[in-house]
Amino acid sequence: MSVYNHSNKRNVRPARGAAFYDLDGTLMGLNLLHGTLFAFTNIGEWTGRVSYVLGLAARLPLLYLAERRDRHLLNVTLFEMFKGISRDRLMTLGEEYCDRVLMGNMYPRAVEMVAANRDAGLDPVLVTGSPDFIVAPLAQRLGIETYAANRLVFSRGLATGRLHNPVMAGEAKAAWCLEYAGANRISLGASWGYADSHYDLPFLAALGHPVAVNPDRRLLAVARSRQWPVVRFDKAAGLRSSGGIGPEAAEGWLERKFNGAARG
Amino acid sequence: MARPEAKLKELKPAELKHEIGARRDLVVTLNRKSEPRLIPYGEDFLFEKLPAGTRVIYPPPPLDALPDPDTAIRYALLHPLNADPLFAQLNPNMRVTIAIDDLSLPLPQMRRPDIRERLLNQVLQTLADYGVDDVHIIIATALHRRMTESEIRRMVGERAFRQFWPDRLYNFDGENRAEIVQMGKTDHGEEVWLSRRAAESDLVLYLNINLVPMDGGHKSVAVGLAPYQSLRHHHNPATLRDSHSYMDPTRSALHSSANRMGRIVNQQLNVFSIETAVNTQMYGGMLDFLQKNEDRFNDWDRLRLKGFRWTLGNLSNDLRRQALHQYAAPYGMTGVWAGETETVHREALARVFQQYAVPVKGQSDILIVGVPYICPYNVNSIMNPVLVQCTGLGYLFNMYRNKPLVRPGGTMIICHPLRDEFHPEHHPSYIEFFHRCLAETTDAPQLAKQYEAEFARNPTYTHMYRYGHAYHGVHPFYMWYWGEPARQHVGRVIAAGCEEPEVAARMGWESADTLAEAIAMATADHGRSATITYLHLPPLVIADVE
Repeated sequence: MSVYNHSNKRNVRPARGAAFYDLDGTLMGLNLLHGTLFAFTNIGEWTGRVSYVLGLAARLPLLYLAERRDRHLLNVTLFEMFKGISRDRLMTLGEEYCDRVLMGNMYPRAVEMVAANRDAGLDPVLVTGSPDFIVAPLAQRLGIETYAANRLVFSRGLATGRLHNPVMAGEAKAAWCLEYAGANRISLGASWGYADSHYDLPFLAALGHPVAVNPDRRLLAVARSRQWPVVRFDKAAGLRSSGGIGPEAAEGWLERKFNGAARG
Repeated sequence: MARPEAKLKELKPAELKHEIGARRDLVVTLNRKSEPRLIPYGEDFLFEKLPAGTRVIYPPPPLDALPDPDTAIRYALLHPLNADPLFAQLNPNMRVTIAIDDLSLPLPQMRRPDIRERLLNQVLQTLADYGVDDVHIIIATALHRRMTESEIRRMVGERAFRQFWPDRLYNFDGENRAEIVQMGKTDHGEEVWLSRRAAESDLVLYLNINLVPMDGGHKSVAVGLAPYQSLRHHHNPATLRDSHSYMDPTRSALHSSANRMGRIVNQQLNVFSIETAVNTQMYGGMLDFLQKNEDRFNDWDRLRLKGFRWTLGNLSNDLRRQALHQYAAPYGMTGVWAGETETVHREALARVFQQYAVPVKGQSDILIVGVPYICPYNVNSIMNPVLVQCTGLGYLFNMYRNKPLVRPGGTMIICHPLRDEFHPEHHPSYIEFFHRCLAETTDAPQLAKQYEAEFARNPTYTHMYRYGHAYHGVHPFYMWYWGEPARQHVGRVIAAGCEEPEVAARMGWESADTLAEAIAMATADHGRSATITYLHLPPLVIADVE
């Protein structure tokens, strides 16, 4: 179970539905690769940074192929590269990344929608392939109590490069929603789901009200054929933070190269 | 100075009566030798033989268009009705808001220059001449979808677009709480809300196109620039049930409500209305045969009809839709009036009825209508089943004055393929409305009570309305309510040529594969001597039923 933090709602009057959100590409304009690069360029000594960044660069073709093939495979391949980084460092970097980069890259209207859905009685739930050390501080800042994220396995305080099961990708997201809804007496039929990638199809299809957000080409085609609403969020100018990462151009190049596909 | 419209025949009531009398030849009774009739059928046309004895009502021929529309507009601005001329109301320090109709008028879109472009050019020039700088142009979309940049550019023309877009030329946003303001309440307790920009302006100009008598008057400002908080007072089942018909403002509770609200607005604001009327020149050139009596078709007309149907039949769905929506009608402006809202609207209404009214004797047991590819709410989009319902039961049923064309308890046959097809970016809430709400009930008051508020406040639909190009979340309810008078009046509705019977069933309709089968089903109910009327479109006609 990838969720390690959600409030127990059993004794509370259950909401009729909930709003499940994917994160990368849906609520914000960044992807998993960006967070990884941020982590690698901000860990320990410069020698370590060079080593991790070069390792990432060397694996880009592999990541590209993994992304083309299977989101699960991409997550496994990407998080392997975190091997050897300490839990404490990742937690600190997660907080830092959240404050310096993520909050400035949230789609303002997505944040508005989270709030409006909450006002309409739909409790927000994050369901994402991003790692928990990034998602936890973000959820806290957004006032979201419940989230499902990927968790790294640590041994003696260091990341092993493996992920706890289930890996949050594809059908695992849908299965988690089903389990969560059952445990919290939430009606999935009355719930809304927001995601941007065709890999999230099982997740969206599990919910009564799927919404394609800034969909990729394949999700857009599905949304049109299944008559799902399509929402576009824009990145507001001026909100973008420079963050602790190197040149923005590199990030832009990576994003273009992966065509936004490495989104969790 | 004679009115520029002097060349257009000005009819006094007695003459009008005489002319309408002469229009009796627009009501044709078919016999066995009559030609098949052309019937709109979504993105296609049927060419069907109708039973002998069927009464076909044809629209009147187009009135002559004004020979020089720009001069006529200038004349109207200089000689307003019951108001000072526009120039006399201007000073350089004033704040002016210009509101214009959105793309729901006219249908299909008209050839360039659009009437709104002509009006805007004249008005903006006058404002510029008098040094008025603080000018905003608001597209009065109410709860309709935001128009796209290219649609706006086409409508307002290059001059206004370059000068005002996007900061001072924009779509109305009924969900921007900071930009709407309450103006008061009517004596019926109706809350009157309006665009804040308009409410805080020294002068509000409304540039209108009257395609049908339902348009214009107080409905322009008090509806076009109003949010849900206002519209819910008249767009509801009770008010619409009490409207007989939408095309007869004197007997429409909808219009009475809009008038009450509009008067509250006009008491507080200086509203200068500019209304125009267009003729029925909907199809011209190679497509002019669509407006002819089929008995008068010559070989060239038949050849063009065959070619037209062959072309439509061989295009993909998307291409066919695009081609049809890109067609621009050669509408001609038949009149323009400016000044005080109610006086102006009276003049415009008279011209509109002069164009559309056809006297018809008595009601019939069966009314046949064809629903075309377009209605006010699917321009450049898909005609979904809820809109088919709105067009058939809402608009076409209401094309009457005095009494409906079909008798109480009669049967209405609506020709349309009726597919489960929606535009997810324009009509997202329609999809849920159709698949969830209508699956539970088709009863309009029940729908209003159970679901309307939920849809009206739905954050996703609100977002798509404000920032995307979606109709407001509550809009499908309004479309359903629109058909309420017809649902109360007719006994059966049969969808003829229906491709997906479950879609018809979802709306409480019966379905038939062909029009002949639908007629057989209806006559089985009403007997072999049942009277049948076919309301011929295009263009449009309003039956004065005696």
